[in-house]
Amino acid sequence: MIGTTLTKIKDVYRRFYYIFNLLIIIALMFVPQVFSKSKMTIICTMCGYFIIVGALNVINGYCGQMCFGIAGFYCVGAYVMAILMQTFHVSYWLALIPAGIVAALLGAVVALPALRMKGMFLAMITIGFSEVMRLLALNWTSVTGGAMGIKGIKSPTFFGIKMGGASKYYYIYIVIVLLFLFCTRRVMKSRVGRAWLSIREDEMAAKSLGVEIKKYKIYNFMYGAFWAGIAGALLAPYTRYIDSTYFTLEEGFNVLAMLVIGGQGTLAGPFVGVGVYQLIIETLRPIGVWRFVACALLIIVMMWLRPQGLVGASNSKLAGAGKKAGRKKAKKAESGEV
Amino acid sequence: MTSQYIINQLVNGLCQGFIYALVALGVAVIIGIVGFATFTQGEVVMIGAYTSFYVFTSAGNHLVLGLLASFATTWILGMLIYKVCYEHFLDAPEHISLLCTIGFSMLLKNLATIVFGVEKKPMLDIINNKIYHFGPIQVTKVQLVIMATVLIVCLILVLVFTKTNLGIRLKAVSQNREAAALVGINVKTTAMVGNCIGCAMAGIAGTLIGIYYQSAYATMGSTLSMKAFTSATLGGLTDVPLSALGGVLIGIMENLGIAFTSASYRDIFSFGFLIIMLLFKPNGFAKKRGGSRA
Amino acid sequence: MKRKTWRKSLALVMSTTMILALAGCGSEGSDNSSQPSDSGTTDSAEADGDFKGTIKFGLVAPITGAHAEYGQGFDAATQIAAEEINAAGGINGYRIEIEVQDSAADAKTSSDIFTRFAEDDEIMAVIGDFTSSCCMADAPIADEYGLVLLSPTASDPSYTGMSDYCFTVMYNQRDAAPWYASAVYDHYLGIDNYVCMYLNTDWGNSTYSYVSAALEEQGIECLASEAYAENETDFSSVISKLSAAGSDTIIILDQGNLPTIINQIKNSGWDPLVTSIGPGASDQILEQCGDNANGLILVTPSYITANNDETAEFCNKFYAINGCAPTDHAVCAYNCVYMLKAAIENIGDGELTRSAIRDALATATYDGMTGHIEFNDEGGVTREQLIMSVENGAWVIEENYGYE
Repeated sequence: MIGTTLTKIKDVYRRFYYIFNLLIIIALMFVPQVFSKSKMTIICTMCGYFIIVGALNVINGYCGQMCFGIAGFYCVGAYVMAILMQTFHVSYWLALIPAGIVAALLGAVVALPALRMKGMFLAMITIGFSEVMRLLALNWTSVTGGAMGIKGIKSPTFFGIKMGGASKYYYIYIVIVLLFLFCTRRVMKSRVGRAWLSIREDEMAAKSLGVEIKKYKIYNFMYGAFWAGIAGALLAPYTRYIDSTYFTLEEGFNVLAMLVIGGQGTLAGPFVGVGVYQLIIETLRPIGVWRFVACALLIIVMMWLRPQGLVGASNSKLAGAGKKAGRKKAKKAESGEV
Repeated sequence: MTSQYIINQLVNGLCQGFIYALVALGVAVIIGIVGFATFTQGEVVMIGAYTSFYVFTSAGNHLVLGLLASFATTWILGMLIYKVCYEHFLDAPEHISLLCTIGFSMLLKNLATIVFGVEKKPMLDIINNKIYHFGPIQVTKVQLVIMATVLIVCLILVLVFTKTNLGIRLKAVSQNREAAALVGINVKTTAMVGNCIGCAMAGIAGTLIGIYYQSAYATMGSTLSMKAFTSATLGGLTDVPLSALGGVLIGIMENLGIAFTSASYRDIFSFGFLIIMLLFKPNGFAKKRGGSRA
Repeated sequence: MKRKTWRKSLALVMSTTMILALAGCGSEGSDNSSQPSDSGTTDSAEADGDFKGTIKFGLVAPITGAHAEYGQGFDAATQIAAEEINAAGGINGYRIEIEVQDSAADAKTSSDIFTRFAEDDEIMAVIGDFTSSCCMADAPIADEYGLVLLSPTASDPSYTGMSDYCFTVMYNQRDAAPWYASAVYDHYLGIDNYVCMYLNTDWGNSTYSYVSAALEEQGIECLASEAYAENETDFSSVISKLSAAGSDTIIILDQGNLPTIINQIKNSGWDPLVTSIGPGASDQILEQCGDNANGLILVTPSYITANNDETAEFCNKFYAINGCAPTDHAVCAYNCVYMLKAAIENIGDGELTRSAIRDALATATYDGMTGHIEFNDEGGVTREQLIMSVENGAWVIEENYGYE
């Protein structure tokens, strides 16, 4: 059902894609004009999540690695950004990329032992890493402010305009989100992306065809960690205050939940997931804690009905049904549907 | 730093370790027999604790009654978890059921907050505490009762696994599901029983934890899930005795670490230990029996 | 490239649709954010026609989460205050309405909620949050929008300085610490040394540094101190460490974990004098500790019971809503509403704007259940405290206000 409508939309857009893309980008630039600032805070939060859920999608969805510790990279990115800006008085624009790079380097560090592990063990070591990062942030008071966190992070200025507040910061977010989409699509088209997909589907077969598993797994972690770090780096000046409680395992599981609901293994998945999840959280605010119950039920229902998520990669291992069915589906499907 | 203090920390660590061991046992049993990991163990512990809280408040402080009640409740909960999270996905890739258990744990946790309320339920003086001194070692009655209960439960489990028909069926399913099906074992039912045993272990652990820390509250299970997993990882996730040993080791390691540094570093020790251990032995210490399940 | 860009477009279209759907049915700021046992906006029995209009305040507090007890206390107390004020004719003839939102003591959620309040032109002032970290996360936003943030319980000394719009009716730790050291520990308890365990949070670290410095000045020695994580459940290691240091007095800086800590201290066989700063004389301590709490000494800025004519009505109403007696934290929230009322009354016929409220609040005064409240230059207050103890399962006031 979802498949056929997607195909129809696909055909329509294929013809006019340049115009549609341009229109959409222009429309996105007008969003702050349309929505009140309080709605803009929700939208900015969603944009922040787009990036990090997208990053997790690259690791879990495209490469099939079970990483549950995305909060660790998020934490590193945010703290590096905050420390660079507050302690070393580096300008926002100069500090952004280094924050991502530090997170990427840590991604490589995590990837190294993870090369030998699969499944649950990989998940455990990523969880361990995530918690160690959080605990470092909580306890290394001299550098990270410890339990006090880092306060009063300044908003960036763009050619003299102060980009504080949700309406203005939105522009930074949306540009980075579009950049992320663009980069990820290009990467997935390239040899690197194809290698990741092959690792996800059948590592043994990929190895036998000459794909250097170790190298690509490390690239995968680094790429995901980079964007998670960028998401964190964008968060710090937006909320102007960070502490270690923002980066608990629970936050990591929230990100995972958004990915799972929306769909793994496709570009659209994270967006749909963040949208649906935030929609539920915000509209169901009146019923208090029941909204988390609703989200939890949604995850379980999603796993039962459509394990790859709402718009996830249906022709992949992510769709479940085991090895035999996966091979059948892979034969039928088009190549490399991204 | 006196030796008395170190010994006290060791005893603390041992008692905590026994609790972790019991929860880790449950995890190892579930992963071994059902074949899938679980992230809901902590929440099952919490349900066990609440069950015994209600038993204690309505029927008085009878330890055995509380243990049996939490055993029964979590057994039934185990059946529910099996039906929701595992049965449908027996042939599916493992991450799907794992995500399902994550969803289930979120569900249980939030439902518990709604149904039971946010405040901690006091579980005071279930066992009249006394303090015993054996030379330089100081132990409380509560600690002794906990350690004894864990040992008895483990003993019963070992007996079940080795001496009973059910136990042999469970072991067969954990070793090779297809072969077990070929010899006529009902894999689905046996796996469900395995899951229920694992959850019941958690339920008993919940009662013990409630008694030890004298309260039950909705979020008591969260960190426990991770610690139990860490302990089970030591045993390659499926080996029961090694998982229990892992639990004891982690308990001792944490407390000794705190003895020499500070209490806010507690989790660093357990996670650090996990990372270091996984670095050297990526699949735990257990010998693999042909084809890793994980 | 052609075939695949539709995916990107689709993603953007779908998220745009989500956003539009959010705009359509998302509630701007709901009136009821608490659980089934509900509280929320206050509606007086009078018809709107009796009032000139409505003045709205926002309440951001942890209705759920680790500090839910206190957040729900804020909710109930402000509800009672609003009902009382409306029943008496409102403020200058205006009905007041309080919109409650749950921050779960999470700084990010709190600042998001505060921004939403700030964007809602009907909200004239905000009461909240509970923890100093949340308040300090909200402070830059309060400053930017010019919206009063009146916290019932923020005690971090740097909070009020963050903006002219930041106020608190709680004493701050820096000012209170010397009194603790000289009046409570030196004069009243007469101890020579102590051990301390404190929560590894903003509040805990800050309080500890001020208290330990003040105690050092009094010549009282700290034999050992330990910080522990907020979600800690097993304190046996910390207790072992502290009991080995050889002191007879322990100071515990915490709020919600105190009952658990007391139980574990008693069970470990160590029998020190247990003192605490932070939790207030809460019923939960009595309920969760039973006999273990006997002998506990703590300080609190107020202790309200139903035994007193002045406070009986509030206590009974609070009990009816929350099922427990109010702590000082809840009373502070009640006071906040009345402080705002005093401020608005001072504006009189003048134009009611957010900055006018801020200016009036700076000079407003209120005399209520906890005495006289008036802000100092920074937007904070100084408060005297009671020394209380637990005897036979009940709270007893050992020393009254003004003890030195």
